[in-house]
Amino acid sequence: MSNPQQPRLTPLPEWEEEAEAMLDGVEYDTDLGVRMARDAIRVSNGELTDAEFHEKYHEQVMEEFGKDERPTKPEGFDDD
Amino acid sequence: MTNYGLVIDQERCIGCHACAISCKQENNVPMGQFWNRVLTEGGDKMDTPSGGYPTDGGNGSLDMQYQPTACQHCENAPCVKVCPVNATYTRDDGIVEIDYEKCIGCRYCMAACPYNARVFNWDEPEHMPEEGTGDVPARPQGVVEKCTFCSHRVDEGLDPACVVNCPADARIFGDLDDEASTVSKYINQYETHQLLEDRGTKPKTYYISGEMSPGRPQTSDKLESELDDVQVWSDGTDDVPADSGSGGSAGSSTGGIHSVDDDAVGDAVPHVPAVDAGGDD
Ligand code: SF4
Ligand code: SF4
Repeated sequence: MSNPQQPRLTPLPEWEEEAEAMLDGVEYDTDLGVRMARDAIRVSNGELTDAEFHEKYHEQVMEEFGKDERPTKPEGFDDD
Repeated sequence: MTNYGLVIDQERCIGCHACAISCKQENNVPMGQFWNRVLTEGGDKMDTPSGGYPTDGGNGSLDMQYQPTACQHCENAPCVKVCPVNATYTRDDGIVEIDYEKCIGCRYCMAACPYNARVFNWDEPEHMPEEGTGDVPARPQGVVEKCTFCSHRVDEGLDPACVVNCPADARIFGDLDDEASTVSKYINQYETHQLLEDRGTKPKTYYISGEMSPGRPQTSDKLESELDDVQVWSDGTDDVPADSGSGGSAGSSTGGIHSVDDDAVGDAVPHVPAVDAGGDD
């Protein structure tokens, strides 16, 4: 997991493979994790807004974790 | 508002791994984990160059540089956005931290971090010595952890351990929002880059490459009080002509830092055999 020689700047396709490997075996939904991680980077990149990101995953996050406390929640967002 | 950041001068970095080791010790990082790593840019393995030896007096093409890396404390951090329970959060001073009580170990943040900066505690953390090291408690099994810019030290007005223990003065820590701070001056004066700038994460770690900075001898409050009789450092910002490389006052600074190390922090830095310094623990 912490090979100090592991690449520091892996290109995106390889990163996705790594992300899948990181999440493999986790007791939470691996596929949701990979999709959210990819989109979180898109949010940072300006390709998706915080609000869109929050809304896109809110229901799945609620289902998976029973709560959604991400800081991406837009003002006035209806939690229910 | 305070906004902490780090400058690392890659021209000054000598790949000694003192930052990685002092981080591990200060932060009680378990065996098998690293928060702070020094990668080699060059060959396929650590401390191996790319290229080949010169033959028959021809030009050699050997090339090797160091890439110190840890959490970049991104201003626009995907790890923060993706954490469903808000265990990963950004402090008011810009440090990205994890509330280990809240972390449920889903590892979504690990997948979202483009810098591979986070590690997961698969097992009960093991420490050497068993009671642990440094000034922070061990994190439990099943949570993610990472570099905190030594927030426990920063809260007391001290620099991070990696900064204080860098024998090459390659690390400078400070307030990016303060124009007069040394980090801000260095970012203005030298050519810097951030890792993966195209990802929009706005990392708060800046790397200097191309032209060697004068470096900045680190004298934290604690060390200054302990070392009243040791020579006073100059700020050094203007000491070195732009093209002087390793000469000038940077050289004399390097000589001086040994006396600081020997007198004050020699015992605090573990003596790690070179062969193990870059290993997994
Ligand atoms: S480097 Fe990774 S862990 Fe650190 S703030 Fe950026 S995204 Fe988060
Ligand atoms: S592993 Fe912990 S810090 Fe990371 S996203 Fe999950 S709950 Fe948040």
